Amino acid sequence: MRRPEPNPKPTEVLPIVSISVANLSHRYYGEDGVLEALRGVSIEVAPAAFVSLIGPSGCGKTTLLRAIGGLLDAETGSVSLGGMPPAELQRRKAIGFVFQDAALLPWRTALDNIRLPLQLNRRRNANAAASSAEDALNAVGLAEFANYYPRELSGGMRQRVALARALVSKPDVMLMDEPFGALDEMTRQEMRYELLRLWERTHATALFVTHSIPEAVALSDRVIVLSARPAEVVADIAIDLARPRIESVERSSRFLEYTYRIRDALSVGVAA
Amino acid sequence: MNRLLSGRMQSRRRASSRHAAQSSHRRRSAALAVAGYLLPPAVALTLAAAAWEAWTRAADVPAYLVPAPSVVLARLFGDIGYFALHGGITLAEALGGFALGSAAAFIGATLMAHSRFLERSLLPIAILVKVTPVVAVAPLFVIWFGFGSLPKVLIASLITFFPVLVNAMVGLRAVNPGALDLFRSLAASRADIYIRLRLPSSLPYLFAAFRIAIPLAVIGAVVGEWFSGDRGLGSVIIVAHSNLDMPTLFAAILALAFFGIALTLLTAYAERRALFWHDSANGL
Repeated sequence: MRRPEPNPKPTEVLPIVSISVANLSHRYYGEDGVLEALRGVSIEVAPAAFVSLIGPSGCGKTTLLRAIGGLLDAETGSVSLGGMPPAELQRRKAIGFVFQDAALLPWRTALDNIRLPLQLNRRRNANAAASSAEDALNAVGLAEFANYYPRELSGGMRQRVALARALVSKPDVMLMDEPFGALDEMTRQEMRYELLRLWERTHATALFVTHSIPEAVALSDRVIVLSARPAEVVADIAIDLARPRIESVERSSRFLEYTYRIRDALSVGVAA
Repeated sequence: MNRLLSGRMQSRRRASSRHAAQSSHRRRSAALAVAGYLLPPAVALTLAAAAWEAWTRAADVPAYLVPAPSVVLARLFGDIGYFALHGGITLAEALGGFALGSAAAFIGATLMAHSRFLERSLLPIAILVKVTPVVAVAPLFVIWFGFGSLPKVLIASLITFFPVLVNAMVGLRAVNPGALDLFRSLAASRADIYIRLRLPSSLPYLFAAFRIAIPLAVIGAVVGEWFSGDRGLGSVIIVAHSNLDMPTLFAAILALAFFGIALTLLTAYAERRALFWHDSANGL
């Protein structure tokens, strides 16, 4: 069930992976009691869509994303990525994860960090469609920094390397957990459109966890608003803004209107 | 030392465009930095030795109680081959024991880091080994393993074992959780996670253990030599002691101090080379 590839040019590959989350519930059992993170969350994401998850701090967004990526087995409910369990997509190296902490290996150069996904899990030749690490580094505009170590790079550059690493195996699903959360506001805004530019070339199905309302609106086709813990879906707002989007989109009145709608939905979710 | 390090990394990066003049300037400033580190302790040491020398001469202290530094140095350099031979033996026993103890500890740590059951069953035994004073088992080792180098090597390895075990175990577990998630999201094998993630992550912890364990291994070898055999600086000290030959005793101690400094500097150098990516490599 690999994507059909009549033409090796990445822009013409048709994505086929939808994300389907059905009735997902999860609790953590700690020393001081039970923490209910998710309660009956169901989400459908169409292939090649960009969907943001927004909600109050500690509401279970990360738990949800980890369950979708197969890093956590939820207690009840199911996750299906294009009809397959997450573990199967992991084996195909079809999931690209980006975390808030860039999670680069400090002993590897930028380029070698991007090579990592190509070096792991080689037995299935899962990365037949993969681009070269050099191309991925070029795509994020860091070609000159190939031999720099993470501690020599700025926070924004490290996150660009993490993005390139997630994209190098040409994933069908991109899962991003507040990837720009630790960046300053200017860099953060710049990274939004950088991410859009990169994502538009792949058309992977993208799920993006964030705290920032403008970030969610600028990036997404849909914004799903979650309640305070345990997370439940309180609103599902379609963002009807033309693509490709550039920074000026944030000055349009429609953009502002969407941010207000999301803010209202969030305050309902917190009150609930 | 930061300057030395970044100089090395830059030269690797821009080897073609590097200017010779710049690099010689960098080398000169690095040499100045090293001199800056070494000069104050050297001056202090010389002053202390001078005071000691002056005291022994003025008070006419007999050499069988406290020999003057000049007498000790004359003994050391007058028979440098003798001290080098015995020092070399002690050094070889200490390093052999260190290598053996570290290897055993690292294997143990790998097993324990992968299994809570093994950790629970083996760690108490390791702690038992740790709290038993090595001096107490040294005579036993001599009975079991004879008068050659083997008991000394084993004592040194025993003393090395615990610090390396504990630090390696902590280090193998102290991986960046995000990086671990990344490996798992790519269906990485356990071997890949171990070799490409856990092992390099444990290096800073491992070097911290080495800094403690290497001087301990020298102690282990010297203690072993006290109990048996006629080779190594430990036995030189025992023989000199029974003859009240203070210049030889002091010369042996001086030789041991020299080896201690050399080993410490060597460890620091290896650490800087291996951990150039880590924050601890910033300072000395």
